[in-house]
Amino acid sequence: MSNVAEARLLSKWYGQVIGLNNFSIEVPKGITGIVGPNGAGKSTFFKLLTGNIKTNVGHLRVLGEEPWQNPSLLAKIGFCPDYDFLPPDLNGREYLRFVAGLHGMDSVRTATRVNDVLGIVSMVKDADRVMGGYSKGMRQRIKIAGALLHEPQLLLLDEPLTGTDPLIRKEMIDLVKDLNKVHGHDVIVSSHVLHEIERMTHQVALIYKGRSVASGDISEIRRLMSDHPHNIVLEGRGLVPLAQTLLTKPYTSSIELRPDRLGMYVRVDRPEEFFDSLPELVAGTGCELERVESLDDDLESVFRYLVG
Amino acid sequence: MLMSLNVIGLRTVAAFSARKLLMNRRWMLVMLLGALVALVMGYAATEDGANLDFASDLMVILLLAFLLPVLSLIYGASMIRNEMDDRSIVQVITAPLDRRISYLGYYIGLVMVLCLLITVVTSIGGLAFLIFSPERAGGAQLIITFIALQYLGVLVYSALFLFLGTLMRQPIYLGLIYIFIWEGFIASVPGSIGKLTIRHQLEVVASELTDLGSVAWTSGDWVVSVLALVAVTVVLVSIGAFVFRQEEVA
Repeated sequence: MSNVAEARLLSKWYGQVIGLNNFSIEVPKGITGIVGPNGAGKSTFFKLLTGNIKTNVGHLRVLGEEPWQNPSLLAKIGFCPDYDFLPPDLNGREYLRFVAGLHGMDSVRTATRVNDVLGIVSMVKDADRVMGGYSKGMRQRIKIAGALLHEPQLLLLDEPLTGTDPLIRKEMIDLVKDLNKVHGHDVIVSSHVLHEIERMTHQVALIYKGRSVASGDISEIRRLMSDHPHNIVLEGRGLVPLAQTLLTKPYTSSIELRPDRLGMYVRVDRPEEFFDSLPELVAGTGCELERVESLDDDLESVFRYLVG
Repeated sequence: MLMSLNVIGLRTVAAFSARKLLMNRRWMLVMLLGALVALVMGYAATEDGANLDFASDLMVILLLAFLLPVLSLIYGASMIRNEMDDRSIVQVITAPLDRRISYLGYYIGLVMVLCLLITVVTSIGGLAFLIFSPERAGGAQLIITFIALQYLGVLVYSALFLFLGTLMRQPIYLGLIYIFIWEGFIASVPGSIGKLTIRHQLEVVASELTDLGSVAWTSGDWVVSVLALVAVTVVLVSIGAFVFRQEEVA
């Protein structure tokens, strides 16, 4: 079995709302990032993988098995959802004992594993505090500890970095990488921020409006991002000569100069060429640029471009 | 291995769901209801002619007809439904435990909590009556009888309202209609239809357990009533477990 999960022409809808639409993906071993804007269908995909919901149409296999109404499969999966569900009156250690009980672990194994996973997520010190007083980062860690407790083959981490500060975010990224490299878990991790996923893995799938729009190595995704048309805003003084020069360039699609002549919007087909030539053009036309910003250097615009 | 998973899992769900119910702020409502029962029974004991027959009648109205179904509804209908709404149920449904076993765990947890609350409230109410009543002989036995009777009621009402809470998003309304229209009104309608209530079946069992109060004159075969209540419980728990297994949790 080379893939940990496979979906083929999968569709899931909730009444009139489509969660996933003809969604196909092959998730290999290792760490795979699922990237897409909010509402793209990432959480729906995770719920299907854990058998919380069933597919309307299509084929889904997780570790070679059908997940819906298959509790034995859940012994091989650890799930960390994006929302907060931790009971605030329990402490971290009590919560993990509860999770261990749900997995049928006896008291000896529970004691060992609880200490192990607390060590892995660096929560030993705070394990005896009630979770109601935990920070966002601590809550994420203890959720991951709960998902790790029964030593699953596959870990599903839904937006584990959401709401965490930069320092915690870096630690979490390192943790996710270690979960694969050091502890040997296959990981499917989701985010709506590409560069966060990029720091964890090169294997990425993009989801947009319930469809898988691209998957593969991150360098391919980056190439798509740099190839698609960009809208760029330029602000400064003496922009008219720069606009006239830009209009002669083959990569320029259109230019819209603001009435105050202190700003303009440039649409370019090949942004790499534009950015490469910009310093020379600025020097040649004598304009004084104060701001250069690509309005489309984000995933949403890439998704829109990819789905036409 | 599977046996071990099911036994430990069942025990875990029952223990943690019971703890969750007890930690909930609803205990304030239970305290209020308990105080109300104690107040009414204590006050009633000071009236002329207050005796254990009177106490028995009071317990039928306050406990069997009111407190038992209302407490069961408050706790039972919200147990799984609240966890679905706040999504804390994710931990249970992503564990390798058959959902039918999990459901049974919830049911056992609910029954344990309700039995505890019923014991406390009935004891407080009964003692309040006995403290102020001139007639006390046999009072303790009456309290124990009504506690035992309500344990039987807890089994059925818990099964009913836990099922409703699993099936519906707003189970409280139907539950209230059931308690006050079916159990309250229909039970008082003359003829055989009134016998199709949990309350009536409990009163038939009560008639076997005590000679005190008008409930002692309820006609019917107590064995049939016990069997009917147990059968309804088994059917409701089975259907509830089936529904829970089939339910998608988004």
